[in-house]
Amino acid sequence: MNLLPPKRWVLWSLVTFSLVTLSLPTIIIIGASFTTGEIIEFPPDGFSFRWYQRLWELDEFTDAFVRTFIVSAICTAIAVPVGTLAALASVRYRLRFQRTIQVYLLLPFTIPLVVSGIALMIFFGEIRILGNLWPVGLALCLINLPFMIWSVSSTVNALDPELGNAAANCGAPPIQAFFAVTLPAVMPGVITGALLMFILAFNEFLVSLFLTDARTVTLPVKIYNSIRSVITPDLAAVSVVYILVALLAVWLLDRLVGLDIFLKSR
Amino acid sequence: MRRRQITDSRRRTVLKAGTAAVGAMAFPALLRANEKPKELIVRAWGGAWGEALKAGVADPFTAATGIEVRLDFTEDNEIKPKIWAAVDQGRVPPIHVNWDTSTNATISALRGVTVDLSDLSNLEGLLPLSQPVGLEGYPLVNTYAYVYVCAYRPEAFPDGPPESWKVMIDPKYKGRIALYDDGIGFNPIAVIAGGGTFEDIPDNMEPGYEFYRQLKANEPLLGEDADFTTWFQNGEIDVACTISVNARAAQQNGIDVRWTVPEEGCKVDTDGLWIPQGLPANEEYWAKEFINFALSREAQEKWCSMLGLPPVYPGIAPPEDLVGDPSYPTEPADFARLVSVPSPVLVENQPIWFAKFSEIFQG
Amino acid sequence: MDRLRLKWLLLDKLEALADRLWPDRWRGATGWLFIAPALLLVGLLLIGLGYMLEYSLHELDLSTYRLRDEYSLGNYAFLIEKPVYLRILLRTLLAAVLVTAITLVLAFPYAYVMVRTPSSVLRKFLLVALFLPFFIGQVVRAYGWLIILGKQGLINGVLVKLGFPTMDLIYNYGAVVFGLVQYMLPFAVLLIVPAITAIGEDIELAAESLGADWLKAFRYVVLPMARPGLVGAGIVVFTLTLTDFAMPEILGGGTTDFIASAIYDSFFQLSNAGLGAALSIVLVTIGSVLVALVFRVTGAGTLSIRDERS
Repeated sequence: MNLLPPKRWVLWSLVTFSLVTLSLPTIIIIGASFTTGEIIEFPPDGFSFRWYQRLWELDEFTDAFVRTFIVSAICTAIAVPVGTLAALASVRYRLRFQRTIQVYLLLPFTIPLVVSGIALMIFFGEIRILGNLWPVGLALCLINLPFMIWSVSSTVNALDPELGNAAANCGAPPIQAFFAVTLPAVMPGVITGALLMFILAFNEFLVSLFLTDARTVTLPVKIYNSIRSVITPDLAAVSVVYILVALLAVWLLDRLVGLDIFLKSR
Repeated sequence: MRRRQITDSRRRTVLKAGTAAVGAMAFPALLRANEKPKELIVRAWGGAWGEALKAGVADPFTAATGIEVRLDFTEDNEIKPKIWAAVDQGRVPPIHVNWDTSTNATISALRGVTVDLSDLSNLEGLLPLSQPVGLEGYPLVNTYAYVYVCAYRPEAFPDGPPESWKVMIDPKYKGRIALYDDGIGFNPIAVIAGGGTFEDIPDNMEPGYEFYRQLKANEPLLGEDADFTTWFQNGEIDVACTISVNARAAQQNGIDVRWTVPEEGCKVDTDGLWIPQGLPANEEYWAKEFINFALSREAQEKWCSMLGLPPVYPGIAPPEDLVGDPSYPTEPADFARLVSVPSPVLVENQPIWFAKFSEIFQG
Repeated sequence: MDRLRLKWLLLDKLEALADRLWPDRWRGATGWLFIAPALLLVGLLLIGLGYMLEYSLHELDLSTYRLRDEYSLGNYAFLIEKPVYLRILLRTLLAAVLVTAITLVLAFPYAYVMVRTPSSVLRKFLLVALFLPFFIGQVVRAYGWLIILGKQGLINGVLVKLGFPTMDLIYNYGAVVFGLVQYMLPFAVLLIVPAITAIGEDIELAAESLGADWLKAFRYVVLPMARPGLVGAGIVVFTLTLTDFAMPEILGGGTTDFIASAIYDSFFQLSNAGLGAALSIVLVTIGSVLVALVFRVTGAGTLSIRDERS
């Protein structure tokens, strides 16, 4: 009866395929960023840091980078409470019109980003808040909110509802029960969600394009605009810098929280 | 030589400022109106285009006036709704000066969101090309002309440059041809290449649509400026209809590409500068000064020679590598080979042509 | 000791405040309180949709390039008349289905391996490999693919050396689907992972000890239990593909536009906000209807793992 290929073989071939296709362009771009030539090519034409040097010299680059950080931080800061509470609500509490609310909360995904961008630009313009960074953070939180809600929902679900009852039985008033029992239990989902929101905001350019101008431009928008005219290796260098930031963030998170805990089997 | 020219314009500016100062003592409001802003934001295309503007206009302007010029590389199409929304909502627009295609600028002018530029001092003596067609006065100023040439890879054409645009429907080049993804620069040419005449535009575009259908069968790549460069660079295409500036920039970066004007002709068009309404009075004043500066001889010479395009300032000699080049029209004979469609006709018909283009190529 | 007392005092005050603001008798409506911020935030988009609806009911006046004042259904009529829009819509829907299917097939094993592996290093490696490409951004990543798949790219280079003719691997529909799968993979994996962590390893072992081979265990035990995660991932990938704008433009070669590109063109190329708005309304309606249908059919009424039965 053992005519089936072994489990490991099948799973690992699929995973390897995914790994290869995911990583190949990354390797190429990293390699291409060190070229001495004028264009992106692989293998690169020589080895030099000149494109990185050029980035460092552009102070518009560092300004935009800092702004991107701020915007992403605002986005995550808003997403964590709003998303967590929404996830708790939709899973733990009996709400009427459950399905309608779910479809409603998926609007950020069913509306194309271009449309969201234009619509928010018009509305924010109307109420005169354009020109600041915080509306950009708010908008980015909005368009990616389902990710946060979903992330927390999944851990809420795995949460034993009895824990809440147990806490109440021990005499814990609601707020304490929340902070002492509920929140720590959904922490893994909250952290995955926060990480995802930060990453998404850090790379977002479509909606940001409409909500920023030359004075408040964020890095992804800057890159997107540069790419419309010509693609040069400094864009590859920017990508590599981004990757380093990502690695740093993940490493930090791992040290602080231990990404392992919520990823492994129970 | 250049320094004296800069001093000349500085002197002019100082004179102007001096006059303003005198007037200001009597009229405080006037003084405030000419107060220099910290920076001017000018929308520009990136790559070779932006570099030319920076070196030819922006940096000299900063040297003469002390006002920083920041270039905004937002795509021309994408800044349109941002400016329009700002003007409609009574907010300050995101840029001071828009370096735009004349067609786009005409659309903004029709919408009534541009500032009148008729009082610019350097308008006098410019070629008639500088005046917008079909509009009253100067809601925008045209600054140079450019041609949508037939760019090609010499390796793929050992017998010499293609003589006719029909090369685009030649099965030999199947999958190795490229156009702008909205048909810009080629719509009128398609009519002529398809057997029609210039008089057929715009009422009878059918020969053009027929040509497009044959083109579609030849599996073209559709994209924008950056894509053409990428495709030539990576050997994906042999022939493209693109602006001569892009082809020249690619050439200067070591890519083997040349260009020609085939027998049916090439579309010639203009780009211009305009200012959105709603800027504070002093910023608007200096934005106009910027445009005025861009129309001066020094700026036109440097800017347009870096781009390799014929300026609207008369009497400037072409750069060495472009003398006699058909993409650099100077004599009436040169212009006769090119196809020019007036902006109002383009503005009115572009949507129709684009819808048909989409229908054929997205099908 | 003092610190603890201080903490208790603070918490007691908080509890009293909470009780005053949200007394016991409202306790049942706590759910609504929790979800209100999210509802309000998404409400901003609803306002935006309102603008779009308004725009879609006005046609463009080509002499002033502003929308006419009169109301009309002309934009919608235009969409129905021109066959190209239907073709683009079908192309997009097909891609959404294909991408969702392929992504789930690739994401599930990836998530499974990531969760079940005993090695912590491997798990982190898989996570990092998943997200790193994301930071390169779509356009630059696509350039990387051009270098690999282009006519003079790495793969064709190898083929030519081996004596084979070159293949058209990029700038077609297949390349777009491929690119989209790449893009969606990290999201799908992240959404499936919690579902798998919730399935204890012992359940699979139990199934196998009862005589099922691993494929049967997958089919009858693991997949059904992971279903809500799969449905969640599926919905996200489907809606994101349906509304994606960048990938078809970048990898499609310009002749495989998706609906979002058509919307972009209407707003920016044609400066016709009315037509663009009409297209957007159509897209949002189709997307929401499909999502509602999926919810109804699969019963995963909540954005969650456990379905309503439990």
